Amino acid sequence: MSMAMLTVLQIIMVLAAYTSVTLLFPWIFLHKRFAGIRGASAKFMAYFVAGNFYIMNLVFLLQLLHISCWLTLVIGTLLPFAAALFRHRDSVLPVLERVLGRISRITGGEIGKKTLLVKFERKLRRMSSGEAGKWASRHALELVLTLGIVFLVFYMYGTNAVNVYGYCASDMVVHHYWMNEMIHNNIFVDGVYPFGMHCVLYYLDIVFGIPGHVLFRLFGVVQTLMIHLMLLAFLRSVCKSRYAPYAGMALYMLTDRFYEYAYYRYYATLPQEFGMLFILPSAWFAIAFLKEKDFIFTDGKKETCSLVSSQYLILFAAGISMTLAVHFYDTIITGLFCVGIAAGFCFRCFRWRYFRRIVVAGVAGIGIAVLPMAAAWVMGTPLQPSLNWGMSLLSSGSTEAVSEDASDDRASSGSTEAVSEEASDDEASSAETAADKQPVPKVPLSVRMQRLYRTVQSELQYYVTNYDAGMPRFLLGSIGLLFLLGILWFILRRKEYGAVLVSVSIFMLFLTVLQSAAALGIPQVVEVSRHAVYYAYGIAAVWSLCLDAVLFLLLRGNHLMDLGSLGTVAAVCVAAGLTGIKNPVCLTAYETNGAMICLENIIRENKDGGTWTICSANDERWMVDEYAHGYHYELITFLRKVEDKGEFASVMIPSSNVYFFIEKIPGLYVDYINTEKPKRTVSAEGAQEPLSSWPGIVPYVGNARWVTMSHMYYWAQEFKRLYPNEMEVYYETDDFVCYRIQQNEYSLYNFAVDYGYHHEAEED
Amino acid sequence: MVSRRNYFTIVIMMLVVFFLCMFINNLKEVWNDYTVNSYAEDASGYPSQINIYLPGGSGEDEQAQRTEGGEGEGETVVSRRKVICIGDTDGALSNMVREWVTYTKRDIAQYTSLASFADGEREMDIPEMLVIDPDCIHWEQEEEISLLTECVAQGIHLIFSRLPDVSVIENSEQVRELLGIRNIAEREVQVEGLHLYGGFLLGGEKVYHAVEESEKKYQDLEPAFPWYRLEAGVQVYMKGIPVDESVKPESYPAVIWRKSFGTAYVFAVNGGYMEGMTGIGFLSAMSADMYTYELYPAVNAQSMVFAGYPSLADENREVMDTYYSRSVKQLFQEILWPGITTTLQDREFGLTCMLAPQYDYQDGSLPDSRQLKYYLKIFNEQSVETGLHGFDRSRTLPAGKLAEDQAFLTEALDSYHFSSFYAGNLKEEEIKEALQEEVLSSVKTVVTKPEEEHQETVGFLSEQVTRQRVTGDGLNYSYRGDLLVRSMETALGYLNISFDLTRVAYPEGEEDLWENLAVEFARTAGAYGKDFQGFDRTTASECDAHIRCFLGLDYEDSRTGDTIRLQTSDTGGTVWFILRTHNEKVKDMEGGSWRKLEEDAFLIEVEDEEVVITLEPSEKRYYY
Repeated sequence: MSMAMLTVLQIIMVLAAYTSVTLLFPWIFLHKRFAGIRGASAKFMAYFVAGNFYIMNLVFLLQLLHISCWLTLVIGTLLPFAAALFRHRDSVLPVLERVLGRISRITGGEIGKKTLLVKFERKLRRMSSGEAGKWASRHALELVLTLGIVFLVFYMYGTNAVNVYGYCASDMVVHHYWMNEMIHNNIFVDGVYPFGMHCVLYYLDIVFGIPGHVLFRLFGVVQTLMIHLMLLAFLRSVCKSRYAPYAGMALYMLTDRFYEYAYYRYYATLPQEFGMLFILPSAWFAIAFLKEKDFIFTDGKKETCSLVSSQYLILFAAGISMTLAVHFYDTIITGLFCVGIAAGFCFRCFRWRYFRRIVVAGVAGIGIAVLPMAAAWVMGTPLQPSLNWGMSLLSSGSTEAVSEDASDDRASSGSTEAVSEEASDDEASSAETAADKQPVPKVPLSVRMQRLYRTVQSELQYYVTNYDAGMPRFLLGSIGLLFLLGILWFILRRKEYGAVLVSVSIFMLFLTVLQSAAALGIPQVVEVSRHAVYYAYGIAAVWSLCLDAVLFLLLRGNHLMDLGSLGTVAAVCVAAGLTGIKNPVCLTAYETNGAMICLENIIRENKDGGTWTICSANDERWMVDEYAHGYHYELITFLRKVEDKGEFASVMIPSSNVYFFIEKIPGLYVDYINTEKPKRTVSAEGAQEPLSSWPGIVPYVGNARWVTMSHMYYWAQEFKRLYPNEMEVYYETDDFVCYRIQQNEYSLYNFAVDYGYHHEAEED
Repeated sequence: MVSRRNYFTIVIMMLVVFFLCMFINNLKEVWNDYTVNSYAEDASGYPSQINIYLPGGSGEDEQAQRTEGGEGEGETVVSRRKVICIGDTDGALSNMVREWVTYTKRDIAQYTSLASFADGEREMDIPEMLVIDPDCIHWEQEEEISLLTECVAQGIHLIFSRLPDVSVIENSEQVRELLGIRNIAEREVQVEGLHLYGGFLLGGEKVYHAVEESEKKYQDLEPAFPWYRLEAGVQVYMKGIPVDESVKPESYPAVIWRKSFGTAYVFAVNGGYMEGMTGIGFLSAMSADMYTYELYPAVNAQSMVFAGYPSLADENREVMDTYYSRSVKQLFQEILWPGITTTLQDREFGLTCMLAPQYDYQDGSLPDSRQLKYYLKIFNEQSVETGLHGFDRSRTLPAGKLAEDQAFLTEALDSYHFSSFYAGNLKEEEIKEALQEEVLSSVKTVVTKPEEEHQETVGFLSEQVTRQRVTGDGLNYSYRGDLLVRSMETALGYLNISFDLTRVAYPEGEEDLWENLAVEFARTAGAYGKDFQGFDRTTASECDAHIRCFLGLDYEDSRTGDTIRLQTSDTGGTVWFILRTHNEKVKDMEGGSWRKLEEDAFLIEVEDEEVVITLEPSEKRYYY
């Protein structure tokens, strides 16, 4: 089977598992309770939020109690169903009896295959002619367009997964390590950190048996699909026309005018992007609550909230909670959106009955998210370094821009290191400080505004757009237009619709300011290139709402509005085609495709066999961790031991099979996500250079990696010369080779052979 | 009232039942031509002694050169070259190497010292390997050690049948370097067993370690030898299991290992394991490790010989009554035979029962001709060959015993032609004398169990009669015996286990009682039947046909990429080869058939003179 085919099957498996837990199970359990929530899109968001929230907190609870395992997780998952069954046992038992009877008749051969198929066909026919069928025929075109969006996501972001098998972000190794430790009930292994994504991945790993490395490789695709579906669901919930959401989304996904880093992160399984799943649902449930007018019923002195309003508030709290439980950046963005909504719905939000409820819900959400982290902290787990950074930022209000990547991901693993990228930022801020001290001449407001505009425009051009001079103006113009349309709809007495438009436009205004924060001299709380991801994501909503507002204005209440909105989808696609369509990108992974293919083969071949060890550079370390018989040996440790030429020098690896992963064209292993392809092959020149003596991953980065791999390559050549029959080429491509040695565990090979290049290294 | 139709039906059914009950057995007996030995085939169609391959028999220009290849696109001839034996010309080592060279169709040159080798081979082609008796090396002379190092640099493999004295290794860094020894851990370490790793000898991994008290009797291996710590670049095939239980398995003292120099290998055997016939299997295993593949001829015969079974006379009645409360005849018929057939029912061994009309020709008990007919019938039904046993408890001269046997057989059956004869430990002259007797006139193979170690395993006793040596005593299992069996299987695919059942008729103690011997029998049948299932099960006469073709055979092989071409000559019939590879398996074959023996070992059956074998990697990656 080709690795591409395996990847496709694995994506389907991950998607099926994740949607089962986050959509199917909540739908089965909650569809009657959520009957009051209006619209399929809103229900979709509600089930999704409920499912994720339950799974995430179930894992948190079990992990903190140190009783998390397959059994407890399954029991925890089925507990609500069991409780419901118990509560409705009188009505459920006959149904259960009927179902079981039917199953026994099928398994006993009483009902044949043909009868079963005929019954199934009849049921399908009944369904198609029933409510579901009517709904599907009413929304057939929308379903087709949604499928188009799904296809487009898979094409744009799945192409990379099918062609590039390694991890595409350097910090995924660390996240994998953290998740692996959860298998041993060791949550917060590296300190207290938002573990929401890890909880979900851990759950899928344990309950569905999907290996961790497969999840980290491919969950990014599923996550990106869901991010786009959440955007679609949000827009479908706020827009008046049916198809305008598709137009904005199509433009966002197709145009090549966005800077690569506005979407590169979608290619990896990262917490920030996972947290984006809950921003728009949170915002929508806040909006939905604020749209409710008569939601309070008075029963004597007691005030009760309507069921649906309560559900909106609960879901809003759950959404907020999950943004914080997954990544702080998402909470910041959600917070800004909430401020925007507060501004848009100012006519209602600050009424006490709304205000106190929504504030309580928000605080409760934050409290729920903080609770597990606080519990761990109280029990003595220190904060993870990136949390320290967040705390210091909040407490000091520092304007210093700090790359969170640097602090959280690289420093935490035993095999990773912090690499600071802040020197240039520091210099810039010190230069600004020096400039501040000089007397500032008075500048007219109009000039200052022009400067401000130019600064913002320049920042957008640099970080959000693909150096397109017109694009920032288009972005800012879109936001401005949306605001004006919102005001217009206020004037036209469509307050709630206008409020949504104003909310989104104000939110985007905040994002615009935040995108340019460093240039404007205000605290930059979100790293600028990561912020671009949110910005581009938000702008899709702006475009859709602009189109929707205009169409609604022109064709209000008319059936032509749907037709018009469909026309805008076509127009947007044509416009994107004319201005340039984005091509799917294949990133440079942190390990070769060959390495991942070998890993999959090794896992498969050794499923029932003896022990095995992979000797490689870093990344496979955590991939093999969850296999009882799999071990990892760091390449640099191996080489350093081989170089020890003492009388008793010996390097033995006590497992039946030992695999050596050697890159013939060593990767670059740079910190940021990139598409730069390595070109330099291993050579004697590289092997003549001494091995890096730095700790951590430094020997695997850039030139040092080339040296390390060159040494390893020549070691392998020498070992194969001495053991031509025993050392076999397990897998080889142009850029990678894997050797395998099968050994008797009672008679291990001594790998410390003199390969002719370590004399020079020692002298150096 | 029964109708005529029903009456007729009932009668028909009764007739059918009657026929089934009565006539089938009768027909079986009528058609059982037990008086004719179906194995007494004329051997004239097979190669005889004059066709045997002899080392150095072919001209120098025709002698194929053994070079390792596989690189490049052209055909690479991977053929056999000269083996040099440095040791006493008539010593055990030389005899063993000579025998191995004959079986593998190589050439041989023998020298008594390294200096004479250097002089003798100066103008000759580079030999394939040197098999060295360390006593023939002047270890104190640096020139000799340098000469060995030069040989390795030239690509000549060195095989040390033993290691020099510990003091030599201790004092010479050059020797240590050559043998891959880092230092000496202990001058002598006490061991209580051996661990033979898989992939060296056929039969897989084997641990010779008596854990239970009852197994201690099997331990007959060398109890002590020097303990050397080895360098990197060394491959260990067998280790000792020290008495000291605190030693970790990976640190166990090595017994057989290989030091790789890139150009050639140096094999070292720490102990005397190569000096007997065990050495030929070791040489085949070492040779298989030297190249990317090794194809060598094999006998392909797994025989089981019941010596002295059945006996037809009512002998030793008093003792028999004491132990079994029945006569020898009854014991053999009612207890032994059901036990034997039950044990062997899933093993498919080729059985040969070496009939002993009587054990004692002076006790007055005469053989029973009805017993003879009974056994011949059941042997014929079950494809068991009947041979004649040469054992005589009363020490009658072979000629006298055989004459009495002939008289009995003539009286019982008119004539019966034996094709196999069990000579046991009779001397060669005695066997030749016996073969002149009328009762053995049709014999074409003799099974021997010589006391001398150096006697050849398979060969010709006379121009038309072959010799096949017993390689294991089925009722006396021992670790060294097991190692010999594995060695023979590796070198020749040949197993000949004898079970001396005269012990049952004349027990010398409790250990000779069948209830105890049956356990040993079952153990042996189980052990060898399981580990070497790929080879053919043969009776002594079938094995004879295999031996004749094997001895007459000559061959050449070459490899191009994944294709091995094998050209055979003087075969006289079907011949077999053992193909040993490294992480490769047979994909396809023309001119014969193949079957897997174990991982990286295949039995090749050659029917045509030219055979093409296509190899492929043992494993293919599932994901690509």
